[in-house]
Amino acid sequence: MMPIWTKSGKKHAVTLLKVQDCHVLRYISKEESGGKTSKLLVGGKNASPFSKSESAMEIFKEAGVPRKQKVTTFNVTDDAIIKPGTPLYAAHFRPGQFVDVTAKTIGKGFQGVMKRWGFKGQPATHGQTKTHRRPGAISTNKAAKVYRGKKMPGKMGNIYRTSFGLKVWRINTKHDIIYVNGSVPGHTNCLVKVKDSKLPTYKDCNKNPPFPTFFADGDEKLPEDLYDEEIFQFTDPSVTYA
Amino acid sequence: FSFSGSRIDSDGKPAKFQPPPKPVIIDKQKQREERRFLSPEFIPPRGRTDPLKFYIERKDMIQRRKVFNIPEFYVGSVLAVTTADPYASEKSNRFVGICIQRGGKGLGATFVLRNVIEDQGVEICYELYSPRIQAIEVLKLEKRLDDNLMYLRDALPEYSTFDMNMKPVSRLDSEEIPVNKLQVRMKPKPWSKRWERPKYNIKGIKFELPEKKMKEAQKWSQPWLEFDMLREYDTSKIEEKIWKEVSEALQK
Repeated sequence: MMPIWTKSGKKHAVTLLKVQDCHVLRYISKEESGGKTSKLLVGGKNASPFSKSESAMEIFKEAGVPRKQKVTTFNVTDDAIIKPGTPLYAAHFRPGQFVDVTAKTIGKGFQGVMKRWGFKGQPATHGQTKTHRRPGAISTNKAAKVYRGKKMPGKMGNIYRTSFGLKVWRINTKHDIIYVNGSVPGHTNCLVKVKDSKLPTYKDCNKNPPFPTFFADGDEKLPEDLYDEEIFQFTDPSVTYA
Repeated sequence: FSFSGSRIDSDGKPAKFQPPPKPVIIDKQKQREERRFLSPEFIPPRGRTDPLKFYIERKDMIQRRKVFNIPEFYVGSVLAVTTADPYASEKSNRFVGICIQRGGKGLGATFVLRNVIEDQGVEICYELYSPRIQAIEVLKLEKRLDDNLMYLRDALPEYSTFDMNMKPVSRLDSEEIPVNKLQVRMKPKPWSKRWERPKYNIKGIKFELPEKKMKEAQKWSQPWLEFDMLREYDTSKIEEKIWKEVSEALQK
C-alpha cells in the first residue's frame, strides 16, 4: 500500500495489484453453463505443471497456456467474448473506473467468540470464576433450542470476501500494475479477482473502456503510466492555493 | 644550525643517508566523495513484499526529488518548512523546529519538528513527499547522541526553543556533520516515558536521579537482545545498490 496525493493536496491510501500472466482459458456458452449469461474462465499467475493430474491440465493444454495457480469465472455478455488463449493486461482497466476486488481473507485459525464476532466477554475481576472471554448465554428459555447460525467460536478467516466500489487511480502498463483506492482483502502477494463494480452508483462510470479487452498487439500505443485527472503527478511543481 | 653535509654519528663513522619522510597528501576531493548520504526512507523494511513495489515507489520518490529539493538532514538538525495552507492569509505557513524523529519508509516518510512558541510546545509531523510542502530549509545541520529526541518533551523548554527568524548557520561541504554531545536537563518526574530505562538507550540526558533509581531501572535491561541473530538486518549491500541507483537517476 502506498500514499497518493490529489491536486488539492488530499492524501489517499492506495493498494498496488499486479496483473501477472493472466490468460483467458475457456469460453462456456449460456446453454452449457445453464446460467443467464455466458462465462469466461480466466487463469492467473503461472505455476508448475508437475503437481496436477493430466485431467486437470486439459484446460490449459487446450488454451495453449502454462498451468495457472488460480482459475476464476467471469459472467460476460455475448458481445464481450474473447478467444481462449488471449493474454489479459492491466490496461484493460482505465483510471477513473470503479472496481470490486475479491480475495480470500487472512486465515486466523480457530478463534474465540470475542475476536471472531466481537462479543464483549465478561469483567476481569469482581468475583468472575473462570469466565472472561466466554459467550455467556446462547439462547432463551422459551426457545428451548439453539438457533441455526448462532455465533460461536470456530475457524475465522480464509474465506472469500469482496471490497466494493474501489476507484482505480493509476495504471502502469510496463509492469501491469493497477493502483486501487483503499484496502483489499487478503495478505501481501495473494491472488485477487478484479471486476467492474456492480454498485448502482458506479453503473455509468466507465466511459469508453477498452472493449472487449486491451490487446497488446493492436494499434493503440499507451504511455507507460496512465493517471486519473485528479492525481498529483510528481513531475508537477508543489501545490499552491491561489 | 648544523651542516648536513658533514654529519658525523656518535660512533665517529659518516651517518647513513636518511631520505626525507614521504609527504602525507590529504586529498579533499576523495574525502568529499567518500561521504555518502542515503535518506533512511529509501531502505526497504524487512518483509515479504515484492521488491518490484519498492522499485516503483523509489522511481516516484526520485521523480519528486528531481522537481523539489529535499536536503540532507538528521534527527537533531533545525529545519524551516513552508507548506501551502488554504486557511492562512498568505496561503503559506512557515514553521521552524528541531527534528526529533524521522519515521516511515517510501513515499509515506515523515519527520516531526518541535518548537516552543510563547511557552507552548508545538510538534508538527510533516510528510517528506507531500505536494503541499513548498520549501524545506536546513538552518543548522547537526546530529545528536540519539536517533529519537522524544525526551525533549520532558526536558526543560529552553532545549526546544528556536527563534522563528533564525538565520541559517553556514558550513563547508567537506566538513563532517558535527555531533552535538549536549546532555539535556529534565523537568522533575513524572515524565511521559521512563527515559532512564535501558530499552530507550538514551545517551543525551543528564540524569540527576539518585543511584538507587538508576540501578532499579537496569532491572528492565535485556542483555540477550544484542546477540539475537534473527533481529539482525544487514542493510549495507542493499544500501550500496540503492545509493548507486538513486545517485545515477538524480544526476541525469
